[in-house]
Parts: sequence; structure tokens; C-alpha cells
Amino acid sequence: MARRYWNINLEEMLEAGVHFGHGTRKWNPRMAPYISAKRKGIHITNLTRTARFLSEACDLLFDAASKRKQFLIVGTKNKAADSVARAAIRARCHYVNKKWLGGMLTNWPTTETRLHKFRDLRTEQKTGGLNRLPKRDAAMLKRQLSRLQTYLGGIKYMTRLPDIVIIVDQQEEYTALRECITLGIPTICLIDTNCDPDLADISIPANDDAIASIRLILNKLVVAICEGRSSYIRNP
Amino acid sequence: MAATTAAAAALSSLSFLSPNPPISFLFPKSTKPFFLSGSFRSLSLSLAPPRAKASDIDTAFFDDLDPEEEVVFDPPTPPEGFTPPPAFDDGPDETEDDIAAAYEELYGPAYSGVSVLGNDVFVMDSKVKKTSAFGKVKKEKVRDGFEERVVQVRRVTKVVKGGKQLHFRAVVVVGDKQGQVGVGVGKAKEVIGAVQKSAVNARRNIVTIPMTKYLTFPHRSEGDYGAATVMLRPAAPGTGVIAGGAVRIVLEMAGVENALGKQLGSKNALNNARATVVAVQKMKQFREVAQERGIPMEELWK
Repeated sequence: MARRYWNINLEEMLEAGVHFGHGTRKWNPRMAPYISAKRKGIHITNLTRTARFLSEACDLLFDAASKRKQFLIVGTKNKAADSVARAAIRARCHYVNKKWLGGMLTNWPTTETRLHKFRDLRTEQKTGGLNRLPKRDAAMLKRQLSRLQTYLGGIKYMTRLPDIVIIVDQQEEYTALRECITLGIPTICLIDTNCDPDLADISIPANDDAIASIRLILNKLVVAICEGRSSYIRNP
Repeated sequence: MAATTAAAAALSSLSFLSPNPPISFLFPKSTKPFFLSGSFRSLSLSLAPPRAKASDIDTAFFDDLDPEEEVVFDPPTPPEGFTPPPAFDDGPDETEDDIAAAYEELYGPAYSGVSVLGNDVFVMDSKVKKTSAFGKVKKEKVRDGFEERVVQVRRVTKVVKGGKQLHFRAVVVVGDKQGQVGVGVGKAKEVIGAVQKSAVNARRNIVTIPMTKYLTFPHRSEGDYGAATVMLRPAAPGTGVIAGGAVRIVLEMAGVENALGKQLGSKNALNNARATVVAVQKMKQFREVAQERGIPMEELWK
């Protein structure tokens, strides 16, 4: 796999606060290779390792995107939900930014049923079918529609299981990570000092609390995906 | 880098379904096959998704990772005239139509219900199986060459306020006679439904049995699951399978012709079936052991 230049500056990462970890008491000892220092009761991650992993992840995404693979970005923290949605829309990938429903991937046929229902409700809404029903029924359907929109809005273009899944916080999205592991889907995960680096396939030790750090990492990954897509168009 | 090269290799083979035997026991620096599971029975009708197995985990990645090592981050030089691309937040705001068009170009209209580019909105309907057919839906009987045999069907009861709720629990062993077996359980209100569910379950956990050319085991082994212990021993050709109940069925469906087996602990059929699977997973071929230990196979035969 060719290594490309991804504009990863260590100074940029320091500014965004990517190197801060969680408190010392909450650490996972498996993160020991990635922790460089302890300052004021907080672990500091080794930024060179982060940069290396980040560039490797970007290379992987570039290659996958140039082979027309499908991606899924999962991030349900309230702080990060908005940026996850925007990043995914920008990169034209699927995303989950509200609660990750259990079994979304492992129980894919059932999720597909829900997506069918979502699609039918939307077409009915477009053609005005909801106005012909009595008010109570229309209200119920509208509620269902809004519910499906919040939970499944990001995956409405997903026709089959994704090929790579990007997870923003491992502690928060543990169920999603477990599902990907059982299905054998490669994952890229943002790891903090209290997470397990062996679970995901490529784990990027970074700060998952600060919005700036999540945005920075998502930005790099999204840029990689976009470039990969455009390189596909040039030589199909 | 080993991670990403392996990931790229795995991805390139993700694009076409291909059976990939687990080779994780080989040299520690080999490519990591844990993205594809060994039991990747790949027919387009197969519903079982590829499962990663515990034996596929390659933890050798961190063996030569030295925590004290000075990691140098040396990115390739930026190309000339490189301007950093805009972040996803700044950058022109796209209208909904633009976004929908871009997505549709990539994925087709899928489940969005709107079609900006003029594709058929109901394109996903053809993929739905006809579950609302009148009468019984004919399920395909013949599936990927696996034979099913029912080990045990029991009637189990759940007592609720209104009375007893009866279900049937079926234990089924699925196997081709070439060395692949799987044990599954399923519960349903009807026997047939339970048998079908357990067959689906069994196809999800399939193991490969190491066999010699005389269709017997390489060596003896014991396995336990719960309170059931099973001892398996190889036998000379012509012996046949000498084992009781669940163990016999598992060995027969695997294609083993000559073996001895004994249920040492509990006599529970399901646990014994699972214990045989455990016992069989512990077995190694002579070739593997010779390679791991780095000695010729003749040494092992002494």
C-alpha cells in the first residue's frame, strides 16, 4: 500500500488537545505502549504513535475508497454527534449519530425491514398520503417517521453491510464494536487511555472527549475517503 | 504496517467471496486472516455472515512492539503546491438536493424514498423475500451440501400465570462428510420450526476436523463443555465409529470413519455434542506440530 502525505502536523494535534488522555486511575494497562507521560493526574498519549496510526488508517481508507467500499461512521456522544453527521455527509458515507440500536449489523435483515418501512413512510409523505388519513393515524405515522429518521437517517443509503466501520469512542460504542468483531468487519477506532487497543483493527490513540480532537481526526479520515473516491473516478 | 497490508489484502478479497482456510497457526509474521472467518461457506444464498473466530486473532502484532522504542514519525514529503483541503465544517454549504444527488450517484436510491437522478425508488423491493406469501413459504431444502441430523428434540416448558407454555428445543448436527461439522440449538413452538432454527444456528458455528487419510483422528484428546467430558481416540481402519448418542452423530456427520469415543461426565446430549467439538478443536495435525516445533515429522512418529 502506498504511503501518501496526509498533512498530519504534530503541532496541530497538540493545539487540538489530541494528546490528553483520561484520568490516571481509569487507564487500561494495555494502553501502556501508547502512553508517554503522566501530567497532573492525566495520561498523555504519545503523539508520534498517534500520527503513525492515523496515517496508516488514512492509507487504508484511501485504498478502500478507491476500490469502492462502503464505510460507516459511528459516533453517538452528544458532543460529537453533529460533527459525525457533517463529516459523513461530506465524505458521502453512512453514519450513525444517535443511539446505536443493538443488532443493527448482526440483525441486518430486521434493520432492512425497518428501512423498508422508513422508505414507504417517506414516499407516502411526499405523495401526500398522510393528509388523507384521520388525524390520529397521521400523527402516529409522523411520529414513527421522525423516530426512524433520527435513528436510521444516516444509513438510509446502505444496501448491504459496510466494509469498514469507523468508531469514535470505544467505551461508548462497545456494542457496535462487538458486532463488527463477530461479523469480521475491519474497524478503525479512536482509542483513549481507558480503552482496549486490541479489539479494533486499527486503533488510533487520541482524545475522545474534546470536540476539537474528534474533528481533527475525522477531518483527516474524511479527506482520505474523498481523495480515494476521486482517484477511483480517474481510473475505474 | 503489517496491519494495513493485511487489511488491504483482506479488503481486496472482500470484493469476491472466497473460502479462506484459517492459517493463523503459521508463522507469526504472516498476514492476519481474521477479517475472514474460516467457515466462510460462500454461496450467494447463504444467510450466515462471515464470522471471525477466536483462533483467527493474531496477537503477534504487539510481540515486537517495544514500549521504550523511539517511534519516529516520518511522513512522506508533501507534494509541491500542496494546500490543505478545507475541513468538513467550513467549505460551501451543500443543499439537500446536492447531497441526495451525490449519495444516489454512489449507492443508488436505496431506502431514501426520493430519487433525484431519476432512478427507480423501489429498487430495494426485489431484494425482499416474499414473506407475505399465502400459505407456506417454500424454503429451499437443499443448502450448500450440508446434511442435517437431529440429535434430540425435547419439549420444554415455561410456567407462567396462565399455565404452561410449551416449546420444542431441537439439537441438530450439521455436516458434510468431509470434515466440517456444526452443532446448533433452536427453540420454537413447533418441532419443524425448531429444527430449522437449530440448523441455521449450526451453520453459523462450523468447525473443521483434522483427519488423517484413513479417516480417523491424529491423536487422542479430551474435551469438556459444562459437566460433559468426552474422550476421543483414533482407531485402525475398519473399526467404525464406536461412540454413544450425540458423540456418534457428530463424528458421523464429520465423515470420521474410525474412532472411539466415550462420554465420561454428564449424559446431556447437547453438552456432549459441544464437548466433542471442543475436543476436536484441540487436535492438531502432525504437519502443524512439526512446523511449529521445527522438527521433521519422522521425529513425531517415534
